Amino acid sequence: MATRMKLKLKTVFVLYFMVSLMGLIYALMQLGQRCDCAEHDMPKDRTISRLRGELHRLQEQMRKAEPTKPPQKLAVKPAQPTIYVITPTYTRFVQKAELTRLAQTFLHVPQLHWILVEDSPHKTPLVSGFLASSGLAYTHLHTPTPRDRKLQEGDPSWLKPRGAEQRNEGLRWLREDRRGQPGADTQLGVVYFADDDNTYSLQLFEEMRGTQRVSVWPVGLVGGMRYERPVVEGGKVVRFHTGWRPSRPFPLDMAGFAVSLKLVIANQDACFDGDAPMGFLESSFLQGLVTMDELEPKAENCTKVLVWHTRTEKPKMKREEALQKQGLGSDTAVEV
Amino acid sequence: MPKRRDILAIVLIVLPWTLLITVWHQSAIAPLLAIRKDDGADRGRREAGQASDSKEYCSSDKDIVEVVRTEYVYTRPPPWSDGLPTIHIITPTYSRPVQKAELTRLANTFLHVANLHWILVEDSQRRTPLVTRMLKETGLNYTHLNVETPRNYKLRADTRDPRIPRGTMQRNLALRWLRETFNSNSSQAGIVYFADDDNTYSLELFEEMRSTRKVSVWPVAFVGGLRYESPKVNAAGKVYGWKTVFDPHRPFAIDMAGFAINLRLILFKPQAYFKLRGVKGGYQESSLLRELVTLNDLEPKASNCTKILVWHTRTEKPVLVNEGKKGFTDPNVEI
Repeated sequence: MATRMKLKLKTVFVLYFMVSLMGLIYALMQLGQRCDCAEHDMPKDRTISRLRGELHRLQEQMRKAEPTKPPQKLAVKPAQPTIYVITPTYTRFVQKAELTRLAQTFLHVPQLHWILVEDSPHKTPLVSGFLASSGLAYTHLHTPTPRDRKLQEGDPSWLKPRGAEQRNEGLRWLREDRRGQPGADTQLGVVYFADDDNTYSLQLFEEMRGTQRVSVWPVGLVGGMRYERPVVEGGKVVRFHTGWRPSRPFPLDMAGFAVSLKLVIANQDACFDGDAPMGFLESSFLQGLVTMDELEPKAENCTKVLVWHTRTEKPKMKREEALQKQGLGSDTAVEV
Repeated sequence: MPKRRDILAIVLIVLPWTLLITVWHQSAIAPLLAIRKDDGADRGRREAGQASDSKEYCSSDKDIVEVVRTEYVYTRPPPWSDGLPTIHIITPTYSRPVQKAELTRLANTFLHVANLHWILVEDSQRRTPLVTRMLKETGLNYTHLNVETPRNYKLRADTRDPRIPRGTMQRNLALRWLRETFNSNSSQAGIVYFADDDNTYSLELFEEMRSTRKVSVWPVAFVGGLRYESPKVNAAGKVYGWKTVFDPHRPFAIDMAGFAINLRLILFKPQAYFKLRGVKGGYQESSLLRELVTLNDLEPKASNCTKILVWHTRTEKPVLVNEGKKGFTDPNVEI
């Protein structure tokens, strides 16, 4: 009786052990597959979003059949060039605010892909969370600026060129991404370098969409003047109206030009030189790409200002710093 | 001997279950950690080949996340909805080089908000063509007013009679316009918000303020020399104080961008205006609010005043050294 009982218990035990082990392995496999579950819902959501967007677009077009509107807005172009906006950004107090109002502008622009590159060794949760809820099509990259090229506390902003490594990283990703997708359609696009503290009008993006090589336009509040602009005669850029070092190959601001995607891909080595002297950052990139007479003037032959080089003040934190010394600083869990 | 066997048996029975429970417990926290970590746990690229514009991969060697989304996109305000209360935004503005830029990006924000009515009040003798043209181009629903702050008020820095804080006369004009335009008996639901032209507003803020019954409040970033100032909210969801360093004992220690008022209240108390003179620094908001509500009536928004939805950003004054005395650039080109 005892031996039979023992045997029974043994089998039960072994069975029990095997079942538990199987269950555990199954559970572990379930955890590894976390991504899959979310994946199934996304395509449906995407389709719904896309259809909703198209419905709204069609409704808008029906309501506003104005004859004065330029042709692009009435017809639904099958392959509208995508505008790839490369924005370098770095962590500071006003970062979230700047990105918020930038995103609010970009949300109005159809076929825009935002490439946001953080000056950081890793992606920050603030930017990741922000982009995920922005509603934009985006790519989130990051690359840190080498220490010797970085501005130190107290350095004037013009001392070292900023954002060169980040813009190059954006270009690198774009080139690699396009390489994986052969076809004429995927080369259709425009690349624009937009800093996160400038102000952009919506018209600017429609002006740059038709860029064949490099297009240019005036930029407001830059170069110590009300605006800087290329001077156009006979539909061609003949010189640049700027008060600071007009002898530069391209005395433009980063916000004053856009490059066609085709040109970016055709010149795999064209990038920004982080060691370039003050004000030559744009020239270091454009020199290898285009000559002055090939530039395409936009904004009504460069007579309208559609982008402004605004800068945001650094908020005064004296009281915050004083509180932090006493250990009474504001709640860091609250994201600002 | 049997004792050791028993212990061994018990251990072998309990072990898988403890492991299972630990692992499940970890998995509940892991999704939160994954956002912070660099997604090392997930392996493999996934491509959803559904539509040509959809690509998403959980992780890759280069740790890049690309998300392609097609959300709505439009350059005109959302269609008017009869069910939503109108948000009347009062913005004082004045001519300076960055004015058009500030108003442009503000308009880009407002174009997303349904049932918005922008009351732009210029500090000028006449309505300027720059603002007139800009407002028309945006397609927003707007009212364009103007009133010039008298010169001596602007410049006087007398401690006995300090100058009027900027924008006061303009905001008061807008309040008067609202009272002249809207009948107190009118069923038009509305919310009044004072938005300066250099601040930054999230879209969520406007939806939070839409449900204001009397006066609602929320935190504002970058004011009072702090990361943010905020009302103090107790467990019952009532405001009982102000989390500020600068004079927290003001009746309403809050920035202009930190509160919104129901239109009905504005119409119900037609004598309530911002005090023009004799107002100490930081007391301007109190001069209006104390005529409208008490601390107890305030409605905290933004998750009981724990989220930042508005930032008191300030734009640098551009350095126009290269313009020189005569002006280098063509003054006919509008900036």
